[in-house]
Amino acid sequence: MGQLTKAHLVEGAAWSLIVVVFFGYSFEFNQSIEIYKFGATGWPRVILLLLLVVTAGNFYYQFRHGSAIQKGRVGIAETDESETDYSDPATLLKVAGVLLTPFIFAYLLKPVGMYSGAPVFIALVIYLFGERRWKWILGITLLIYAILLGLFVVVLNAPLPQGNVSPFYDFSGFILKMNTNLQNLW
Amino acid sequence: MVEKFLAGSAALFGDPITIAIFVFGVIGGMLFGAIPGVSMLTLAAILLPFTADLDPAQGVMLFAVIYCTGTYGGAITAILFNIPGAPENAPTAFDGYPMTRQGKSGKAVGAAVLCSAIGGVASALVMMAATEPLANWAIRNIGPPEIFALVFFGLAVASSVGGRTIWKGWMSVLLGLLIATIGQDPVGGINRYNFGFTDLAAGIAFVPAILGFFAVSEIFVQAEKKATGQYDAPKVGMSFPSVLELWAHKFAVVRSILVGFFCGILPGIGATLAAFMGYGEAVRWSKNKEEFGKGKLEGVISSETANNAATGAAMIPLLALGLPGGALTAMMVAVFQMHDLEPGPLVFYNSPELIWIVFAAMFYANLSILFIGLIETKTILYLLKIPFQFLAPLILLLATIGAYISRGLVLDVMVMFGAGIIGFLLRRTGYSIPGIVLGLILGKIGEQNFAQGMQMVHYDMITYFSRPICTILIIAGTLTLAAGVYRAFSSPKEAG
Repeated sequence: MGQLTKAHLVEGAAWSLIVVVFFGYSFEFNQSIEIYKFGATGWPRVILLLLLVVTAGNFYYQFRHGSAIQKGRVGIAETDESETDYSDPATLLKVAGVLLTPFIFAYLLKPVGMYSGAPVFIALVIYLFGERRWKWILGITLLIYAILLGLFVVVLNAPLPQGNVSPFYDFSGFILKMNTNLQNLW
Repeated sequence: MVEKFLAGSAALFGDPITIAIFVFGVIGGMLFGAIPGVSMLTLAAILLPFTADLDPAQGVMLFAVIYCTGTYGGAITAILFNIPGAPENAPTAFDGYPMTRQGKSGKAVGAAVLCSAIGGVASALVMMAATEPLANWAIRNIGPPEIFALVFFGLAVASSVGGRTIWKGWMSVLLGLLIATIGQDPVGGINRYNFGFTDLAAGIAFVPAILGFFAVSEIFVQAEKKATGQYDAPKVGMSFPSVLELWAHKFAVVRSILVGFFCGILPGIGATLAAFMGYGEAVRWSKNKEEFGKGKLEGVISSETANNAATGAAMIPLLALGLPGGALTAMMVAVFQMHDLEPGPLVFYNSPELIWIVFAAMFYANLSILFIGLIETKTILYLLKIPFQFLAPLILLLATIGAYISRGLVLDVMVMFGAGIIGFLLRRTGYSIPGIVLGLILGKIGEQNFAQGMQMVHYDMITYFSRPICTILIIAGTLTLAAGVYRAFSSPKEAG
């Protein structure tokens, strides 16, 4: 197995899967274009072929040298090199929480909207980042929310998602009505 | 030229509303560029509808000013937080962020301010002096084969920086190219890789992807460090680079101006490739290559000079040929069209006053970077003192708004967070995020120009390679790749 680890095998398999899935799906749009000899699939298939070759090269390198950094590489941030210990399930839960919370927020943007969802999201992220003083969580949440409303709603009139479920939609309407009243004062 | 410039300056500073718009553009561009999570593109997208109420010269000038100052502003977040404000600032983070970790943030930001101003002013001067002759030269000598060749060379250079191995550098660029194939193909308009989602027919939007790969993935990296107790707050360093330190890099500045200007003048290429190539050339010519990426001032200088040198040059194809060089210049075309104008050769004859107000504004905007930048730098450095648990939700929220505003789609927000997770995983395994983003940006441009070039030469490779600029760039790119292959099979490992 040389210097290969389980992670390298998973990595190689993931890249190979990408190549296989994208190559397989390319038959869905395998149409000729009258004015272009290589058609719609020519360019992506060349990329996939190159990706397959390079994935094999990467696998060979990992077989020989493991995860070692190649000599002479530039522009590698030190964060890229860190090895994290996930033996403690609490650590895994914390990181998973941070990774998933924005996704849930994004998913709920359509029904809940930005105006109702943002304060909860802000407070949750602050909590997940380790802050436990509730006064600070509340204060910073209000401050960020005020910045959001001040800059994007009052100054720039940016169209933000309003939600489509009551009472969130009504709350967005209330904020926008307040903004209109404020703009009329000027 | 001097008289026209003075007339443009008089028109710019003779009207209080125009002055107010100029100042708003300067400060807005810097601010939005420097706020982690949003960028000058966010501001431009929000302002676009409002420009209909402005005079055409004011509207175009506003966007030109935002372009200059926003390109500089993105360097601040790249240096302080490892979150490039725009793709053109990505190479700045390679050395800028390590400098911040070493307590040299003041030096890095100071160098970025000065070099952005130098690059921008030099570019503005050349733009004023030579827009018409350069545009004529470009019309005669630059076509789709040359643009494809430059994309090829740029991607070859980009793959050599950022990844833990050359293999991972190449894989990153190829992944970016693959993502760029999602959506309609640029020749026949056939839907590719939409996987049943109609929204994907328009492709992966560029702004959410870069916000996800750069800003969101960095937040996730810092979150992981917090969770595992490895988080180490960056140090605030207030000392600016000395004159001697900057003078020592004079050749890097001149080289980056030339690289930046050449990349900027080519339609569709813009400041992003300029920054990567400026950085890549700095590495290539350096005697201490191994110091790059570990906090070398020359890395920041090369990248920031090159990307701002491209801003003035990018106006040449826009104004003279009507071809935008990037996302922001494409929005400028929309401003022209809102006022029933078409950018192109006729603008110089029909609206010379507009052209010279824009030229003058870009010149003064680049000078403003120097003065306002130096004043604001000390304040901005204090951002590092804000605990990350308070900064993270602000960045995530601003990124959400930035991703949503460009097309008004929640899907883009989900794409952004998806790119954030992918970016987080790829960074942990040593892939190059800037490589992916450059592949994503240049993929469509490369494919489109390759197809047009092939059609032009009737698929005859001998005719293709009879074009000197194209041949030189293809050979340079091939040599860069060959050097990479040689290193991939010969160089021993550096660390375990």
